[in-house]
Amino acid sequence: MTLEAELAAAIDATRTGAPAPDFEAWALRIFAHQFARNAPFRAFCERRGATPATVTRWDDVPPVPTAAFRHVDLACGAAEAVFKTSGTTNAAARGHHLVPSLALYRASALAAFERFVIPDGFRLPYLCLVPPPTLRPESSLVRMCAWVGEAFGTSVEWLVGDDGVDVERLLGRLADFERTGEAVALVGVTAAFARVFDACRATSRALRLGPATRVVDTGGQKGLTRPLSRAAFLRECWTLLGVPGYYCVNEYGMTELCSQRYDSALADRFEGRSLAPRRLVAPPWLRTRVVDPDTLAPVPPGATGLLVHHDLANAGSVAAVLTEDLGRPVGDDGIELRGRVAGAVPRGCSLLLAELASP
Amino acid sequence: MTTEPIATLLARVDDALAARDRLRRRPLGDTVAALAAAGERWRHDAQLVAELPAAARLSPAMIAEILPHVADALDVAVMTKMLEADAGAGAAERPPADGPALVAHVVASNVPALANPAIALGCLAGAAVLVKSGRDDRLSAPAFHRALRDVDPALADTVVAVYWPGGDVAREHALLRRADVVVVTGRARTIDDVTARASRRIVTHGPRVSAAVVGRDADQDEAAAALALDVALYDQRGCLSPHAVYVEREPARFAARLAGALDAVAMRLPAGDAPIDERAAARLDAAEAEWAGTTEVLARPGGTVLYEREVAAVVPTRGHRTVRVHPLTDLAALAALVPAGEIECVGGAGIDPEALAAALRGRGVSRICPLGRMQRPRLSWPRGQRAPLGVLLGRNDGPVLEVEA
Repeated sequence: MTLEAELAAAIDATRTGAPAPDFEAWALRIFAHQFARNAPFRAFCERRGATPATVTRWDDVPPVPTAAFRHVDLACGAAEAVFKTSGTTNAAARGHHLVPSLALYRASALAAFERFVIPDGFRLPYLCLVPPPTLRPESSLVRMCAWVGEAFGTSVEWLVGDDGVDVERLLGRLADFERTGEAVALVGVTAAFARVFDACRATSRALRLGPATRVVDTGGQKGLTRPLSRAAFLRECWTLLGVPGYYCVNEYGMTELCSQRYDSALADRFEGRSLAPRRLVAPPWLRTRVVDPDTLAPVPPGATGLLVHHDLANAGSVAAVLTEDLGRPVGDDGIELRGRVAGAVPRGCSLLLAELASP
Repeated sequence: MTTEPIATLLARVDDALAARDRLRRRPLGDTVAALAAAGERWRHDAQLVAELPAAARLSPAMIAEILPHVADALDVAVMTKMLEADAGAGAAERPPADGPALVAHVVASNVPALANPAIALGCLAGAAVLVKSGRDDRLSAPAFHRALRDVDPALADTVVAVYWPGGDVAREHALLRRADVVVVTGRARTIDDVTARASRRIVTHGPRVSAAVVGRDADQDEAAAALALDVALYDQRGCLSPHAVYVEREPARFAARLAGALDAVAMRLPAGDAPIDERAAARLDAAEAEWAGTTEVLARPGGTVLYEREVAAVVPTRGHRTVRVHPLTDLAALAALVPAGEIECVGGAGIDPEALAAALRGRGVSRICPLGRMQRPRLSWPRGQRAPLGVLLGRNDGPVLEVEA
């Protein structure tokens, strides 16, 4: 059994109550694996004097900047899939993530989604506010939506086409669900939800979707035609869709990672914990350090820094990734995203829509 | 300062204009002497020394280093020469010629103390001066005004030092419309906003950076040390801060020397508290350069040197003491690597500046000086290729480049 297959099985087993993989042990094992098989990563580490002999803690693994994914192939073997970052400027400079094991990616994506979005185990119809895989095969988000729909949905519909969000069709489907009172899962990019909100307001429509309906959005402010704060997003979900805030789960992911963070609200509610503070939480195989840009040392509690993710599910590429995102630690297990570094290359899931709209 | 009603501000401007009228028959030499003396007093202002580091986000050691530089720029000989260049021999012994009654300066605060030369130039033009400070340095202008009052109260009465947050439309509209000339430095948005509100002549200075060149005969250790100082001063936040250096001989070795020199300078002049966003941007730029394939990154505590193996035009870094080192095979090729209108100053070592002057003037460069002097411009520096007094007096002297030996 390969390392990736072994880890995929360990992550998958968490869905039925098995203990989470031992992060520290897996991190060191994966580092040695990547050091041996990923030549650009090995050279990067050697320039810093980091080898399997010298790295003894998971947080000593040198983080590779996301920019590296724009310049070189970072993989430990032949890729089963290549996912590309979204962005409208300079398409040639987009990052690409070579994933040697889709099974590991799938195991991580499903286990995390289940943990944070459907802790109640509900099987719902899925309305996806992203393009279908046939239209965007290189999008990791689209692939994840497809897996989630197949694994957890009673049905899957794709509401974004060549021309962008099919707002009329979507509103029609939502009206159907409102009539029957059946709960539905709306999964998509924040910008697509913003268009739905605009359409509702333009036609003075306010829906009251069935209890347990949930909204999963990702991409944040990118690609929005007007500012939409998180608070305003949650207000619109309640006012225009009838979905309360604790059923609205923001997802934070990136093409370079096979695992994702999610809004804590729904899992906290399900577990009977306080919903405050809302934060982005991760499955046990993804850890995030908030670091000072100059030293890459952890920032003091509550301070803002660059986010470094260490994702075991990235076993086939590079596990430690230095992002262009700023955030701060919240509580023992969460982070708050504070935006992207000024001047960073535009990218992100919400730009999927902008791409569709551009010639 | 920010709560001062507009009517009060306008009254202060009226008072300054009246004070200016009272000085119309006074020889400009008195103004020159007062400005130089005020500069010397200003650099010892206790409040300024104590509070400027935090306000400007520069280390106390850096402030201690740069205050004398700013004061030294108000040099009697330089100011006298400027007046004579403008109005002929003996100009300092005569009253000012007819010129603008009120000059308004809207100064940026990316580097501190930009108000000092602004006030000095307005006074030398024989005008009353309204100077609006930037957000991160609301101290230098009032301190200079205090110093001027101590040495020459009559001249100080012609100066109004104010601050209001940028974008205060009512204040900007009311005050800037009174000025015969408005000089604005800052980002494009600031310039656009002020331009929209000024009614008469406007002189703008937008964002620029500087570059350097090291000829094959230069002493590389001396050049590296001098360039490191130019990079480090003001934490590389000004338009005179070098972002790229072109090296004729052994550029890779020079890059290593420069990295070491940046470390040495940082021991003496530590960096200030830059915002997280600026520091993150610099880190990410260096991180990307390492993977781009043509760049060797020498990241050290004192700064970052990006050794670019290929010759390329100047591309500004994100600052934070980050500089690109490029090879250069022929000094004559330098001008073609300077993006037109984007480079303010070229510092050099082991070069003949006069030989480069014509070509660099054609690219919009306003100043050539020795390495180690880039951050110490004379008051006569023709920023943006405009003669500093001439532009206030409404003359078009053509594109000017100053060569400092």
